[in-house]
Amino acid sequence: MIAPGDLPLWAAIIVGALTIGGAAFTLVGSFGLWRLRSFYDRVHTPTLGTSLGTVLIIVASMICFTVLESRVILQELLIFVFVSVTTPVTLMLLARAALYRDRAEGNASVPPADPQPILKAREAEPDA
Amino acid sequence: MPGETALIVILLLPFMAAFVAGFLPQTARNTEAWLAGVVAVIGLGLSLWLYPQVTDGGVVRAEWTWMPSLGLNFVLRMDGFAWLFSVLITGIGLLVVLYARYYMSPSDPVPRFFAFFLAFMGAMLGLVLSGNIIQMAVFWELTSIVSFLLIGYWHHNASARDGARMALTITGTGGLCLLVGVLLIGHIVGSYDLDVVLASGDTIRDHDLYAPTLILVLLGALTKSAQFPFHFWLPHAMAAPTPVSAYLHSATMVKAGVFLLVRFWPVMAGTDLWFLIVGAAGLSTLLLGAYFAIFQQDLKGLLAYSTISHLGLITTLIGLGSPLGLVAAIFHIVNHATFKASLFMAAGIIDHETGTRDMRRLSGLRRALPITATLAMVASAAMAGVPLLNGFLSKEMFFTEAVENHTGSLLDQSLPYVATLAGMFSVVYSLRFIHKVFFGPDAVGLEKEPHEPPHWMRLPIELLVLACLIVGIIPGITIGPFLASAVTSVLGPETPYYSLSIWHGFNLPLLMSIVALVGGVLIYLALQRYLSSGIEGPPWFRNLKGQRIFERLLVTLSWRWAKALEKLLGTRKLQPQLRLLIGTVLLAACLPLFMGRFAPNLSAFVGFDLGFATMWAVGMACAVIAAYQAKYHRLVALMLMGGAGLVTCITFVWFSAPDLALTQLLVEIVTTVLILLGLRWLPKRMDAPELVRPATLMVTLRRYRDLLLAIVAGLGTAALSFAVMTRPAFDSVSRFFLERAYTEGGGTNVVNVILVDFRGFDTLGEVVVLATVAITIYVLLRRFRPAAESVGLPEQQRIQADFDAEQPHRRPGDTLTDYLNIPSVIMQWMFPVIIVLSMYLFLRGHELPGGGFAAGITMSIGFILQYMAGGTRWVEAHLRILPLRWIGWGLLFAGGTGIASTLFGFPFLTSYFQYLEVPLIGRVPVASALLFDLGIFLLVVGATVLILIALAHQSVRSPKAARAPRPLGPVGGEQ
Repeated sequence: MIAPGDLPLWAAIIVGALTIGGAAFTLVGSFGLWRLRSFYDRVHTPTLGTSLGTVLIIVASMICFTVLESRVILQELLIFVFVSVTTPVTLMLLARAALYRDRAEGNASVPPADPQPILKAREAEPDA
Repeated sequence: MPGETALIVILLLPFMAAFVAGFLPQTARNTEAWLAGVVAVIGLGLSLWLYPQVTDGGVVRAEWTWMPSLGLNFVLRMDGFAWLFSVLITGIGLLVVLYARYYMSPSDPVPRFFAFFLAFMGAMLGLVLSGNIIQMAVFWELTSIVSFLLIGYWHHNASARDGARMALTITGTGGLCLLVGVLLIGHIVGSYDLDVVLASGDTIRDHDLYAPTLILVLLGALTKSAQFPFHFWLPHAMAAPTPVSAYLHSATMVKAGVFLLVRFWPVMAGTDLWFLIVGAAGLSTLLLGAYFAIFQQDLKGLLAYSTISHLGLITTLIGLGSPLGLVAAIFHIVNHATFKASLFMAAGIIDHETGTRDMRRLSGLRRALPITATLAMVASAAMAGVPLLNGFLSKEMFFTEAVENHTGSLLDQSLPYVATLAGMFSVVYSLRFIHKVFFGPDAVGLEKEPHEPPHWMRLPIELLVLACLIVGIIPGITIGPFLASAVTSVLGPETPYYSLSIWHGFNLPLLMSIVALVGGVLIYLALQRYLSSGIEGPPWFRNLKGQRIFERLLVTLSWRWAKALEKLLGTRKLQPQLRLLIGTVLLAACLPLFMGRFAPNLSAFVGFDLGFATMWAVGMACAVIAAYQAKYHRLVALMLMGGAGLVTCITFVWFSAPDLALTQLLVEIVTTVLILLGLRWLPKRMDAPELVRPATLMVTLRRYRDLLLAIVAGLGTAALSFAVMTRPAFDSVSRFFLERAYTEGGGTNVVNVILVDFRGFDTLGEVVVLATVAITIYVLLRRFRPAAESVGLPEQQRIQADFDAEQPHRRPGDTLTDYLNIPSVIMQWMFPVIIVLSMYLFLRGHELPGGGFAAGITMSIGFILQYMAGGTRWVEAHLRILPLRWIGWGLLFAGGTGIASTLFGFPFLTSYFQYLEVPLIGRVPVASALLFDLGIFLLVVGATVLILIALAHQSVRSPKAARAPRPLGPVGGEQ
C-alpha cells in the first residue's frame, strides 16, 4: 500500500500547487458559467476546466505517482487525449442546438441559416 | 433388467419421444408414426414382460426420493390392475398410431399431433402406474391438459376450440377437486403412499371427513368419465381428430375416472353414500346416454353418447359395492375399449372416405366398403351385447348383478328394469348405426366416391374386432388369467368366485338379454318415422342443452360476477392504486414498530462531514426537484436525475467503493440516454386551456393529503434506514467475504468475487431477470403505437426537412449530416477505443474495479454512440448486431459454467481457479468465474442493445406508419 505521507516535500509542494491550480481554473470556469448571460458566452467558460484545469491535475497526478512508485507513469496522458477529443463534440452539439433553436424562434441576434454566401465563397475558390 | 428400470422406461419413453416428435419436420409423417409406434411397442413389450411379476397380487414397485422434507416419494407401482391398463394404453396406442398414420392428411401439422399423442400416452401411463396419490393427481391433470391440446388440434375450427375449452374446464375443475380429496385422504391416513392408503380402508370409512373426501374424489372421477351431470363435454370433444377420439375418448382417458373408482374401491366403497352417489350417477348416465345416443345424427356423436352410456354402466357396477360387480366393471372396461375404439376408427374411415359423418347423408355403404362394414357390424353387435361377442359377457354379468339385492333401496329395486331398458336402447343405437350407414340405397351427393381404405389403416380395426370375437367365444383361456390378476390385485383375499363361460343355463339375466335384444329391434322399428325426419336430438330433451347451461354458468362466473367485483373493489386510476399501496406500506411498517415500542437512537449520529453533507444536500435537491418537475418538464427532471445519480456515484468513491462507483456511473449514462430516447414517444403534456380544469376545493384537499402521505412515507423510510444503519454493526457475512475473497475465490476485487463466485447463483437469477426485462421491452415496443400527437416528425426534423427541400442544391438530410459532421466522425473513431476499454474492464474485473457487468455496459455505450453518430439505418447497414443471440450466448455461458462444475462433481456454480503461463503476458490468474463473467458481459450487452434497438426502430418506422403530412427526410441520429 502506498500512503500519501511517503511523498517527499519537494514533490508534495509541486503536486499540491498543480492540483490547486487546476482546481482554481475549473472554479473560475464554473464561476463564469454562472456570471455570463448569453448562452454563446457561457459555452466557453467550462472549457477552462476541461483544458487547462485537466492538464494541471493530470500533470500533478503523473508526478505524484511517478515519485511514489519510482517508475515513470504516463497513463494519465490518455485522459488528456480523450478529454480533449471528446469535449469539443459536446460543445459543438450544444452550440448547434442553441443556434438551431434561436433560428427556429426567429431570434435576430444570430446569423441567418441561408448558406448561399458561404457557397458562393466556396465556388470562388479554385480547388473547391 | 430389473422391474424398476422397466417401469421408469415405460413412463419416461413416451415423454422423451414426445419431445423429439415436436422437433421433427412438418412433413415427416412416416418418421413420426414409426417413432410413436416403436415407443408403444417398447411400452407394450415391457408391460408384457413384467406380467409374471404381477400375477396373484404381486406388485412391482420403484421408488425415488421426491420431497423428503414432506415425506413424499416418487413411486411407480404396477399391480395386476395397473398392468391391465398399461397394456390397454400401449396396445391400443400402437393400433391408433398405425391408424393415425393413414388418417392424418399430409397438410396437417403432424409433429404437433404425435408430440401431444405421445405426451398423452406418457401422462396416462403415469396416472395408472402412480404409487403416490399426489403424483397420481398430477398426472391426472396432465391428461386433462394434453387432452385439451388434442381436442383443439384443428384450432382453426371454432367447435374444436370450444370443445377443448369445455373439456378442460370440466375435467380440470374435477382434477382440482380430486387433488383436494387426495390431500384429505393423505390427512386421514397420514401418508400419500398408495399401498398405505389401500391398507387403511376402515380408517378412511370411519373418519369424520369421509363424506367430503368421498364427494371430492368422486367429483374428479365422475367429471373425467363424463358421468351425468358432467357428461356433456364428451360429445363436444368429438371435434378432435378421430384417432384422438378412438384413443382418449373411448379407450383410455375417459376410463381414468373409472380407473380411479376401482383403485379406491377397496378403501371407499361399501357405504350407503358411495352406493347413492356412484350408483345414481352411473344409472342415470347409463340410461340417458343410451337414450341420447339413439337420436344422434353425427356418427361420432352417436358413439360419444354410447361411450357415456357404457361408462355409466361401469360406474353403476362399481357403485354396487359388491366384489362381483367390480369384476364385471373391470371386464367391461377392457371389452368396451376394444369394441369402441374399433367403432371410432370405422367411423373415421367412413368420414375419411365419404367426407361426411352425418348419418342423414350416409347410406348403403356396405357395397362400397364391404370389409369395413363387416368389421363395424361385428363391433356394433358387441356393443349391443349380442352373444358370442365380448360385450355380451360383461353385459350378462351386469344383468346378474342387477337382479341381486344390494341395499334394498328404491334405487336398488329399480336396477333390473333400468338395466333392461338401457340394454334395449343400446340395441337400438347399434342397430341404427349399422342399418342407416351400411344398408339401404346408395348415398347420393357425397363429396368423394367411397372405396376401401389402405389395408394398413383397416388393420387396427381387424385386430380389435378379432379380439372381440376371441374373447367372446373362448373367454376363459384368453382374457381369463389377465382379468384374474387384475381383480386379485384390487380385491385381494375378497376375490369372489366368478365364471367367464358363455352359457350359464336359462336364467333371469339371459331372459333380460333376450328382452333387450327383441325390445331393441321393436323400438327401432317404432322410431323409424322420427329418426328419418332428420331432427337432431331426442324428442323434448333436445331442448335441454348442457352446453348452453355450461356457457351461461361460465359467463356469469367469469364475466358478470368478476366484473361486478372489479367494479366494487378495483380502480383504473393510478392515484388511488398508489395511495393504497403507499398507505399499506406505511401501516405495515408502523404497526410492528409501534407495537414493539421502537425508539430510534439519535445519539448514534456522529462523524458529521460538512463537505459530504453539502454534496448530499445537492443530491437530494436534485431528486426532489426532479420529482416536482417530472410532470411538466421531463427533460429537466431527467437532467436532475442524472445529478442525483452522480452524487450517488461520488458517495461510492467517498467510501472507497470504486467498483460500485464505476458501475453506477456507467449505468447512469445508459439510463439517461435510453430515457432520453424514450422521451420523444411520451404523449405531450396537456396544456390546452379546455383540458386543464381549475382545481376545486376537493381536488386541492386531495392533493395535499397525497402530498402528506408521500412525505410521511418517505421520511419514515429515511428514518428507518437511519435507525438500522446507526445500530451497532453486528458480525455480518461481509467479514467472511473479505477474508475469503482471495483465498477461495482467487480475486482481489471482493465485489466481483461476490458477484461471480460467492453469490453467483443470485447473479445468475438477476441476469435472467435482466434478459427477461429486455425481451419484454422489445416485445412491447414491437407493436407499440405512440400517442397520436407524438407520431409525427418532431419539429426540428420537420424544419430541417423543409429547409433541405427548399434549397435546390441540397439533398434531404444534408442539414443533419452537416451538423453532425465532426461529432459523428469522432464518435465513430471512439468505437474501437471503447471496445478496448470494455475488454480492459472485463479482464481486470477479478482483481481490480471492473468486471462483466461494467464491461457490458461500456460496450453498449459504444453501440449507443454509433447509433447517435450515424443513425439507425447507417449503423445497421454497417454492423450486424444480433442482441438476441448475445443474450442467448450470455445465458448459455453463465448457466453452462454452473453446470460444468456439477459435471466435475461439485455443487452448481462452484468456481475453479488456477494460474496459467501465457506467452508474452506472463502468469495470469484464470478462474472459471471468468467464463461466468463472460456470460454476464454478453448478456448485459445484448439486453441493453436490445432495448436501444427497440427504441431506435420506433423512429425508423413510425413516420411511415403515421403518413406524416410533410415530405420525409431520412431519420438520422436520435438527438
